[in-house]
Amino acid sequence: MKKVIIIVIAVVVVVAVALILFFTLRPKPVVVEQTLIFGSSGDAVRLDPADVTDGESIQRMDNIFEGLVEYKEGSTEIQPCLATSWETSADGKEITFSLRKGVKFHDGTDFNADAVIFSLARQYDTEHPHKQYGEWAYWGWMFYDVEKVVKIDDYKVKIVLSNVNASIMTSLAMFTVCIVSPTNAEKYKEDAFKNPVGTGPFKFVEWVKDDHITLVANENYWRERPKLDKLIFKVIPDASARLMALEVGEVHGIEYPNPPDFDRIRANKDLKLLTEPGMNVGYMAINSGYGYKDGNENSKRDADEPLVKTIGYLEPLTKKKVRKALNHAIDKQSIIDNIYMGTASVAKNGMPPFMPGYNDDVKDYSYDPEKAKGLLAEAGYPDGFDVTLYVMPVSRPSMFDPPKIGEAIQSYLAAIGIKVNIYQVDWGTYLQETQDGKAQMCLLGWTGDNGDPDNFLNVLYGPNAGNIGLAGNYGFYMEEEGQDLLTRALQTYDVKKRAEYYRKFQDLIHEDACYVYLAHSNQNVAFRKNIEGYVLHPTSRKFFYPVSIK
Amino acid sequence: MERKRESQVKELIRRLKYNKSALFGLVIILVLVFCALLANFISPNDPTPSPPDLANSLKPGFWGKDAAPGMPLGSDALGRCVLSRIIYGARVSLSVGFVAVGIAMALGILFGVIAGFFGGWVDSLIMRIVDIMFAFPALLLAIVIVAVIGQGLDKTMIAIGIVYTPQMARIIRSSVLYIKEMEYIEVQKAIGSSNARVIFRHVLPNSIAPVIVYGTLMLATAILDCAALGFLGLGAKPPTPEWGAMLSRSYSYIVSGAWWAATFPGIAILFSVLGLNLLGDGLRDILDPRLKT
Repeated sequence: MKKVIIIVIAVVVVVAVALILFFTLRPKPVVVEQTLIFGSSGDAVRLDPADVTDGESIQRMDNIFEGLVEYKEGSTEIQPCLATSWETSADGKEITFSLRKGVKFHDGTDFNADAVIFSLARQYDTEHPHKQYGEWAYWGWMFYDVEKVVKIDDYKVKIVLSNVNASIMTSLAMFTVCIVSPTNAEKYKEDAFKNPVGTGPFKFVEWVKDDHITLVANENYWRERPKLDKLIFKVIPDASARLMALEVGEVHGIEYPNPPDFDRIRANKDLKLLTEPGMNVGYMAINSGYGYKDGNENSKRDADEPLVKTIGYLEPLTKKKVRKALNHAIDKQSIIDNIYMGTASVAKNGMPPFMPGYNDDVKDYSYDPEKAKGLLAEAGYPDGFDVTLYVMPVSRPSMFDPPKIGEAIQSYLAAIGIKVNIYQVDWGTYLQETQDGKAQMCLLGWTGDNGDPDNFLNVLYGPNAGNIGLAGNYGFYMEEEGQDLLTRALQTYDVKKRAEYYRKFQDLIHEDACYVYLAHSNQNVAFRKNIEGYVLHPTSRKFFYPVSIK
Repeated sequence: MERKRESQVKELIRRLKYNKSALFGLVIILVLVFCALLANFISPNDPTPSPPDLANSLKPGFWGKDAAPGMPLGSDALGRCVLSRIIYGARVSLSVGFVAVGIAMALGILFGVIAGFFGGWVDSLIMRIVDIMFAFPALLLAIVIVAVIGQGLDKTMIAIGIVYTPQMARIIRSSVLYIKEMEYIEVQKAIGSSNARVIFRHVLPNSIAPVIVYGTLMLATAILDCAALGFLGLGAKPPTPEWGAMLSRSYSYIVSGAWWAATFPGIAILFSVLGLNLLGDGLRDILDPRLKT
């Protein structure tokens, strides 16, 4: 009997141990988290899509937020996104959108007409309680024709325009008009830009200033869930450090690789280089002296808003001959060949050649220091003058190495007797000070947002954009004739007529010489070989939704 | 008096001859001074050519196949001759070093003598201020000063000078304290000499030896700090050929294979600091009476 009990106990123990071993030692299904780390050249400035102007902020936003419409992959044609369909009224001044149902923000708020109206009204409605929390620069540059946004029912809104605007639909796919969660904005008020909540494929987790921003996949995304589980934007300002981080696998992709390193990237079998002509322009703006103060904040220069001196007013630069001399003094071709290392083309107009309305008849200022000296003497400055040049501290899509270009320009201008003092300041301050008109001359770049010429010519060189404090027109070209052409072009649907206006405008601005256009550069991104699905977008925006790690 | 000083100098040179490392340091410094004074004549190219010769950017020197013509140490990212920039850079570094140490000496002697000679609450006040300034790392304090007074080579000199003042003041004070107790000073006081006479005729000349030693060593750190500020973009403004700035603008091309543009300025910094340190150590061995055999 005892024996039986012992045997039974022994069997029970053995079985129990076997079962425990079976369950604990059984190989668990391995879950590999797909984390992609992207090496950026700088940190975001703010995380509110409507209140940013720089590519670093925008590329984070592109993965958190969505708008009513969006661009098709790799093009600037539009397709439905948060709006399922839309109708334009006969006079072209009212567009009615049907909104997608069942979409939720990351914080659980329902997406509906109220959210759309909140996101847009806070940018234009001076009475809106959230107007004070941002500067909404882009609204003034691109959307000032929007008079109001009206709710028809919970899933229908109407955008009412004050003027016909031929570029409005492509503009509506921009980050500026992405829809933000109203409950979140209400909760954080002026700090909402640190806690972005949208409807996009990735959710915001944390932002460690000047180090990284972490996003995770949005499990409740209205489309299929993104293939990546985690997306991290890591800030590595130095281009060679970025490349080395990519080579050792510390990051999976980088932006703005240094052109001298391209051969090294191509030779590495673990890496790939994606490159295509970018929709951008890199230029030096010459402050021609006068801007205007936009008292009523309508982003237009009204009759009662006189020209006033900008802070960066410098007597010699107000003279057209001097500005032309500057244009003649800089050898663009040499800068393209030796600093851009051939990864860009020489710019003679303010927008890239493939844009509609590009004026190829404009004859670029030749590199001719003697002529430049002659022009300076004619203008009354045979011995030159001192001038301060603002030089960007970060790489931009249109300018990989601004400090080097700044120093090259300094050296070119020294040859005609102009002494250039180089001024450098952190990126946020740089943007603010140039928008305030403090720069006498500044280096800047622009990447197109919507593929429309208006987005280059009107935003960068239009007199309406010469409003001190929110200027986009850093050269302060203020001729009314120019604005007239731009406005007429924007209100014309006839493609040919529109192009004609823009061509004329480019003639005018070339003659005024407030800008030294330097380059249209390729956009370059390098990834590790196992990263798939990334598609370059002409606007240099960075969408990681389709990306996966193999 | 005159003969005595002459013999002191002779003695110094005689002793220096037997101190090989100090001699080596002296040679380096003489080469540097030579470069700085005669930069216009000995540098093969213009350090800041205008217009720039961009076509010759990042070309190797004499060792490379595709060498830049007439640039023995290659060219930097803007096609400028690295050797010429280093030679002109010696002028920048040495002038920053001398002016900064000069400022530190002037201020240091002033405050050090006042504190040491008069003692009491003046001494306490000055020394507490010195203590406060010592609480900051030298470079950090220099950055703060530059941030306040602005950027540029002249500002760099002032900033470094101010940062080194407390060290100088403390050194002077301690030797003044020592000399003040000497019998010959008491004699001077007893015969009714004025304070000014005592200070200028007796205290200062006798407390100057450590100042020379530490001044030389300080020169080394001043050059290093100047390069550091330049590297951080706070020192000389472009296109001034400053070693630290040259290094910081070129190091990213090491990855691309153009190592020379960053390496040679680095070597220049290394050797000048090494030379000054060796010389400073040698001078201490010679001038410090306690080390005399």
